[in-house]
Amino acid sequence: MSNLKKTKKTLVLILALIFIASMVIGCGSPAAQDDEKNDDKAAEKFKVGFIYIGTPGDAGWTFAHDQGRKYLVEQIPEIETVYLELVPEGADAERSIEQLAQEGCNIIVANSFGYGDAMLEVAKRYPEITFLHCSGLESAENVGTFFGRIYQARYLSGMVAGAMTKNNTIGYAAAFPIPEVIRGINAFTLGAQAVNPDVKVKVVWSLTWVDAVQEKAAADRLIEAGCDLLAQHADTPAVQQAAEAAGIYSIGYNSDMRSFAPNANLTGPVWNWGPYYVKTVKAVMDGTWKPEEYWGGLEDEIVDLATISDKVPAEVIAQVEAKKQEMSNKEWDVFTGPITDQDGNVRVQEGQKLTDEEMLALDWFVAGVEGSPNP
Amino acid sequence: MKRFPVIEMDGITKSFPGVLANNNVSFRVYPGEIHALLGENGAGKSTLMSILAGLYRPDAGYIKVKGVKHTFKSPRKALTAGIGMIYQHFRLVNNFTVAENIILGTKNSIGMNSKKIEKEASEFASRFGFDINPNAKVFQLSLGEQQKVEIIKMLYRGCDVLIMDEPTTVLTPQEVKDLFNTLKLMAAQGKAVVLITHKLHEVMEVADYVTVLRRGEVVGSNRIEEVEEASLAKMMVAHEVVYNEVSHQMKAGNTILELNNIDVYGDQGYLAVRDINLSVKSGEIVAIAGVAGNGQRELIEAIAGLRKLNKGSIYLEGQEITNLNIRQRLARGLNVVPEDRIGMGLVSNLNVLENVILRTYYNKEFLDGMFIDYKAVHTYAEKLVEDYNIFLSDLKHPINYMSGGNLQKLLLAREISQHPRLLVAAYPSRGLDIAAAESVYNILLQERNKGTGILLILEDLDDIFRYADRVAVMYEGGIKQILNVADTNIDEIGALMLGTQYARKLS
Amino acid sequence: MIKTRIIKREYDSLAIKTAVPLLAILLALLVGGLFLYFSGYNPGETFLRMYKGAFGSSYAISETIVKAIPLMLAGLAVSLAFRMKLWNIGAEGQIYMGAFAASGVALTLGDLSSWILLPLMFIAGFAGGAVWGYIPGALRGYWQVNETITSLMLNYVAIFWVNFLVFGPWKDPASKGFPLTPRFSLNGYLTTLGDSRVHMGLIIAFIIAIVFYLILKYSRWGYEIKVIGESQNAARYAGMNVARNIILVMLISGGIAGITGMIEVSGITHRLQQDISPGYGYTAIIVAWLARLNPFAIILVAFLFGALLVGGFGVQTFGIPYSIVLMLQGSVLFFLLAGEFLIKYKIVLSRKEAN
Repeated sequence: MSNLKKTKKTLVLILALIFIASMVIGCGSPAAQDDEKNDDKAAEKFKVGFIYIGTPGDAGWTFAHDQGRKYLVEQIPEIETVYLELVPEGADAERSIEQLAQEGCNIIVANSFGYGDAMLEVAKRYPEITFLHCSGLESAENVGTFFGRIYQARYLSGMVAGAMTKNNTIGYAAAFPIPEVIRGINAFTLGAQAVNPDVKVKVVWSLTWVDAVQEKAAADRLIEAGCDLLAQHADTPAVQQAAEAAGIYSIGYNSDMRSFAPNANLTGPVWNWGPYYVKTVKAVMDGTWKPEEYWGGLEDEIVDLATISDKVPAEVIAQVEAKKQEMSNKEWDVFTGPITDQDGNVRVQEGQKLTDEEMLALDWFVAGVEGSPNP
Repeated sequence: MKRFPVIEMDGITKSFPGVLANNNVSFRVYPGEIHALLGENGAGKSTLMSILAGLYRPDAGYIKVKGVKHTFKSPRKALTAGIGMIYQHFRLVNNFTVAENIILGTKNSIGMNSKKIEKEASEFASRFGFDINPNAKVFQLSLGEQQKVEIIKMLYRGCDVLIMDEPTTVLTPQEVKDLFNTLKLMAAQGKAVVLITHKLHEVMEVADYVTVLRRGEVVGSNRIEEVEEASLAKMMVAHEVVYNEVSHQMKAGNTILELNNIDVYGDQGYLAVRDINLSVKSGEIVAIAGVAGNGQRELIEAIAGLRKLNKGSIYLEGQEITNLNIRQRLARGLNVVPEDRIGMGLVSNLNVLENVILRTYYNKEFLDGMFIDYKAVHTYAEKLVEDYNIFLSDLKHPINYMSGGNLQKLLLAREISQHPRLLVAAYPSRGLDIAAAESVYNILLQERNKGTGILLILEDLDDIFRYADRVAVMYEGGIKQILNVADTNIDEIGALMLGTQYARKLS
Repeated sequence: MIKTRIIKREYDSLAIKTAVPLLAILLALLVGGLFLYFSGYNPGETFLRMYKGAFGSSYAISETIVKAIPLMLAGLAVSLAFRMKLWNIGAEGQIYMGAFAASGVALTLGDLSSWILLPLMFIAGFAGGAVWGYIPGALRGYWQVNETITSLMLNYVAIFWVNFLVFGPWKDPASKGFPLTPRFSLNGYLTTLGDSRVHMGLIIAFIIAIVFYLILKYSRWGYEIKVIGESQNAARYAGMNVARNIILVMLISGGIAGITGMIEVSGITHRLQQDISPGYGYTAIIVAWLARLNPFAIILVAFLFGALLVGGFGVQTFGIPYSIVLMLQGSVLFFLLAGEFLIKYKIVLSRKEAN
């Protein structure tokens, strides 16, 4: 008997809750309709959608892209932007890109190489939409790829590091052994050697793009190995914080990481996507955009060096500025011979330069790097 | 002389899902009295005492201790009021000494060093006439001695009312006598003792007063001089229990089971069964007596085929089965009712259908290709339930809704329906009330009369004398002696259960 | 004064079994709604968008199914082991090994017709996962090594193995160094249903669910699994070979997780790459439990779970950060799991007696 009563009570409770819930949803509905009208209006607005591998709060790769998105809105206020964050590169990528397409985006930007297949797939279905794939491999009728020559900025940061190390042992916490990362390590090392021929760069692979714990572990191993300056190719500021805690210098990456390690951080190569976004969106709006495989350097400001710390002597800064100017003016580039690899083989002859093709397939370390490009 | 009760419980009602465990129970205990709380399993004795000891809270009713109303939120609160309960499973720290177990955890113990603890404990124990070594670690003690430590512990915590839940189940007859002397001594010093039990002869032997519970209600409350065993039994089960005079037939037929010098290792890697020779003949019941943990479990598992012999051989009807597995032994008519009714003999979350085929599901009669022929199982289960008078609500309900007696009947029915030549059953009446135990033994006697050899592991000596033809006493893995039941008595068996040295001292 | 007490229910009625999850979802929406409201978002609109994102169009539904298929398969995989109280936490690694083995077949034998290639990939996927299930199964069966730990640890081995392959020997020379294998030949693509991305994996999941149901409910082997799961002592008493069954179940459980990996590479990514599974092997554990290990319920729960993930993910473009979406999804799960408790126990309110 009492059970029956309790069941009744439970049912009444459930009904009451359903009632409340339907009120909430009911209240929401008119607003939703209004919004849909807004949506229609919004559809007339030029819309740019972003697919992010990370989150804008990561202080790293995606943060830099999101800074670019904000810059874009500042420069062209009449456009609207949306983004999807933390999109996995597997089955979810295609659906996410498709969603942005269905929501009326005129341009869709994706910021990781793993989105390539999915992007090409969706692009086939939406010929009127322009797709931009950062670090992508394949372009198409309506798909362009874009990237920056961050290795140039890395060379400059290497010069700072080479000048500031006392024991000539620099540590480099690197994400994955892909050409992009290897190129950066080589450029950094060449930059350091340019001011300090005795410098050695020890490499530890963290095998992750975004994992503060593993990156910190990599940094700690480098500190144990006697490095007195750390550089990184990873997305979190964990390496900077490890250097700060150990009382040694560090070089950041992606964005200005000074605030995470005010004493340790000297400078860092940074991404500056905003100008490219503005230029490209304008071209699409004007109808002058053509699919391209864009790879810009210091001259386009897509890559740059974060403000150099005042701990660095003025003459070093002057040297760095001079080299930067040289590269911006395209009078010189990083991989200009003679360059020897770890085994002492001359890989680039005096007076020669690596082509873009060669740089994109780089899989060897220059002399002075300690570690293996194939861990 | 007008006496005031130390405990008054009035109108106590307590329900659990599906069970009204106590219904408007009133219960009084006076100082200096041994009060037996008698009832069958499930009559609500333990519930009532758990309420008194602060473990459960009643749905209705009140408790007065020395005239003051109390609501106990925890056992600790009840203990502060002077009520202590000793459970069947002792709550002692095995690696601590006796003295530490007695003293530690009380306010007095703060700041005491081990010497002082030892002195305090032995002084306190001797005040109540206990003779115990305060330095011994608890795990070194026998169960009887551990029980003593529990009692001293409770007394040390200032308890005036001591509740003991079935204290004699784990004890040998000698230890039981010891315990009863202790209890009488305590009563003489003004303590009250509540003895939860379902054994009538214990009540008659030691109690001053008896309260009988049946189905959660008080059905009688009397001074012991005013009652007799038969009337108490009647009160407990509500119908006259007739103890059949069982004839010990001894038409000793052929030998069914023969164990030759077997050694078996236990789980811990020591020899649990040592050099046992034993035979069971057709149409006889052989009982193995002994304090639990003396190798009975390992012996049964070895006979069943669940445990390898280290040495020796086993013959069933003249054929060696030493190296056969459990299924091959079963096929030759060796059926076993294990000690763990649920968890080995039956599977609690499975339904009746699934349980009745546990041992035979792989036989053709229940198979239809790779599928189980549940229609055939259904027919078979229905027949078992009918033949053996098993009460259950639905064949498709999990068996954990069934009572212990019905579970045991189901288990026996399943094994017997396979036409055993040898039936081994461990503690077949454990935890069952009188009526259920009777019907279980009736099934076993019928089976014996059919000429099956029956080997029982029993703990209750009364049952051994009532049903067995021969008794083998196990002690520390070996068999001390095999006796015809007709030629021995409880005292002799009890002495053997404790090992020969003790027995020699007695004689 | 009101006291509360928790009492185990005598029986779980169907009414309660259905009412509690519904109540849980409503409560989750209510709490999540309040949270959204106070964070400055319109809860009604958000929920409507979540619903539309998951069910709003045939495309949305097809994508929900795409997300649900690996959850169905992996959920079925772990449920088999759970039936026997074997805690196979290694489905994630088994998915990776299945993907690896199937990719190996697709990359080396791509010229075969799809009628031969796909079954081969299927078998390879099963075998890859099965080996990864066999290892903890054998360790447990023969030496009583806790399978929870070993299966979990093997996840990392499998993930790093796949990483090694895509960064190293199996890297597509044309990928300019990015960690991707070459695309499979078209013969290695799992057939899709119509224009959508829904692939044959759905049918495979249905078939496995039906087979599981029949085996577990009616077969001799299903009976053995049930008994061993409930009590190994009873199983030994029944003469069952416990060790062999443990190994067999872990092997099949791993094999089906391996098929999950195979259908993901063959049906979706069409190549082996990093992050083939964003934790399907772990989510599947929740799916299997919520479905009470019932094969058909796993299909349904996986579909609803897919909807929760897909619908939730999409509301980001409405301006709601992903972290809040995760909070919403978390609260739905929290209430569902808390509801499980209410199905088993009830809370009784009673007036405290005056002293």
